[in-house]
Amino acid sequence: MTALLETRGVWQRFGGLVANSDVSISVGRGEIVGLIGPNGAGKSTLFNLIAGVLPPTQGSIWFDGKDVTNLPAAERCQRGVGRTFQVVKSFETMTVIDNVIVGALVRNTVMREARRKAHEVLEFTGLAARADVLASDLVPAEKRRLEVARALATEPKLLLLDEVLTGLTPTEAQTGVALVRKVRDTGITVLMVEHVMEIVMPLVDRAIVLDLGKVLVEGKPSDVVRDPKVISAYLGDRHAVSA
Amino acid sequence: MDKNFAARRRRDLIIAALLAALAALAPLFVKNVYIQNIMVLTLMYAALSQSWNILSGYCGQISLGHALYFGIGAYTTELLFTKFGVLPWFGMLAGGAIAAVIAMGLGYPFFRLRGHYFVIATIVIAEIGLLLFQNWEWAGAAMGITIPVRGDSWLKFQFMRSKLPYFYFALALCCLAWFVTWWLEDSKWGFWWRAVKDNPEAAESLGVVVFNSKMGAAAVSAFLVAIGGAFYAQFLAYIDPESVMGFQFSLLMALPAVLGGIGTLWGPVLGAVILIPMTELTRSYIGGSGRGVDLIVYGGLIVAISLALPQGLVSLFSRSKAKGATR
Repeated sequence: MTALLETRGVWQRFGGLVANSDVSISVGRGEIVGLIGPNGAGKSTLFNLIAGVLPPTQGSIWFDGKDVTNLPAAERCQRGVGRTFQVVKSFETMTVIDNVIVGALVRNTVMREARRKAHEVLEFTGLAARADVLASDLVPAEKRRLEVARALATEPKLLLLDEVLTGLTPTEAQTGVALVRKVRDTGITVLMVEHVMEIVMPLVDRAIVLDLGKVLVEGKPSDVVRDPKVISAYLGDRHAVSA
Repeated sequence: MDKNFAARRRRDLIIAALLAALAALAPLFVKNVYIQNIMVLTLMYAALSQSWNILSGYCGQISLGHALYFGIGAYTTELLFTKFGVLPWFGMLAGGAIAAVIAMGLGYPFFRLRGHYFVIATIVIAEIGLLLFQNWEWAGAAMGITIPVRGDSWLKFQFMRSKLPYFYFALALCCLAWFVTWWLEDSKWGFWWRAVKDNPEAAESLGVVVFNSKMGAAAVSAFLVAIGGAFYAQFLAYIDPESVMGFQFSLLMALPAVLGGIGTLWGPVLGAVILIPMTELTRSYIGGSGRGVDLIVYGGLIVAISLALPQGLVSLFSRSKAKGATR
C-alpha cells in the first residue's frame, strides 16, 4: 500500500536561509506520526509546505497517490488535508458552531447537512455545550479544540496538528491526547508537530526528528529518544557523549 | 439548537414582511411631497447600503468606491434609453450586469491588496471613473444627460405627477436587497464571506477559495447598487457625473451600514432610517447657504454613535437578546 503522504526531496529556501533541505518523509495510512525537533529545525515550514500555504522551492509532495505540489491550500483541503494553526486562527466574530460549519461546507453543500455535520463534530470534540458562544469568548484550550473541530469537519484523510498540545495544563493536555487517539480510531491519519516530548512520545506510532532543516532520525519513539544524535540536537554534544 | 436557529431566521423574515407592509401603507397617511421624497431616498439608501454591506460588511472588503457602480447603473440605463431607445427596465439589468463584470475585473488585481490599501484603491478607481465620465463627450461629458419626459408611464418608468411609483419601486428594491442578504446569510457564500473577513488564512485551510469568495461578493454587491443607480437616474430625470458618481454616494452607502451595524442583517436598514431623514432635514433646516452645518451635525452624531456603540445600533437589540438567551 502506498503512503498517504510523501514528501520527495523537498527544499525550501527563504532568501539565503535554507529552512528545509532535501526532506523526504512518508506517512502511512492510519498512523500517528510525530514531527519533532528543536526550535528552528524547519518543522513549521515543512508543515506549511504539506498544507499548501506555499510551494516548495524544489521537490514534490504527494498525497493519496497524487502529486499535489502545486495545489493551493483550499484545494488540498478538498482532497482531504485538514490542519490546525499553531497560533489559533478562530473566526472570532462567529459562533463556535458557525466556525465549524465553514469546515463542514467542504463536503456538504446543503446547509442543513453542513449544520448537522458540525453538531456531530462538536459532540465528538466535546464542544457541544459551547456551540452558540462566540469564538472570541472561548478560553485558550477550547480554542485549540475548536481548531481541531473545524479541521475535522472537513472530513480529512490526513489531519495536521500544529502544536495543539503546547501551552496547555497537564489535564488539558491529557484530554487533548485522548482526543487525538479518538480521531485516529475513526481512521484519520495524524501528523503532529509537537515540542513537548513527554506528551507526544507515548502517543505517536513513529517519530521524525528534524534538525537544521534535515531529517535527523526517524523511527519508533522509544528508539528516537535514546538516539545520541537526537540528544545532541536538543541538548548539545556534551550531553550526548555523557549519555 | 437548530430549532432556535430556524426560529430566528423565520422571525427575521416575518419582521421584515411586517415592516415592508407598514412601509407600503405609509403613503396613505403621508401626503406631503417633501416627506415622500425623503422616504424614497431613505428606502433607496437602505437598499444601497444593504448591497454595500454584502461586500464590505459580510466579506470584510471595505469599499469606498461604490459610487462607481451606482454611476454605471445610472449611465448604462440612460445611455441605452436616450441613444438606442432601450426601456429603462432592460437598461437597469444591463447596468447591473456591466457593474458586476467591472467589479470583478477590478477585483482581479485589487483583491490581492489588504486592508487600507484596498480601501485606497477603491477610492482612486471611483475617482478615475468620475473623471472619465466628465470627459466622455458621447456620454454628455460634464453636461450630463437629460432624460426626455414623455408623460407618466410604467413602461418607461417615469412619473411626473406623483412620487408614489418611485416610492414603491424603492421599497421593492430595499426588500430585494434585504432578502438577498437574508438568503445569502445562511448559505455557503455567507459562511465563506464571514470566514474570509475574520481570517483568510484559516478560511483557505478549510477549503474556502478566498479570491473567488471576494469576487462573488463584489459581483452581487455591484449588481444591486447599479440597479439603485438606474432607479436614481429615472427618479432625477437628469444625470451628470457628479450627481450620480460623486464620492458622497460612496459615503452614503457605507455610513448607514456602519452606523446601524456593519456585517449585520438589520444594520443598513436601521442606519438608513435614522441617517437619511436626518441628513435631509438638517440640510433643509440648517443647511442652505452655510453649506456644511448639516454635515457637521451629522458627522458629530456618527462620532457619538461609533464611540458609544462600536458594533452599531443593532447591538442595542442583540445585547438584550443575548442576555435573554443565556440567562
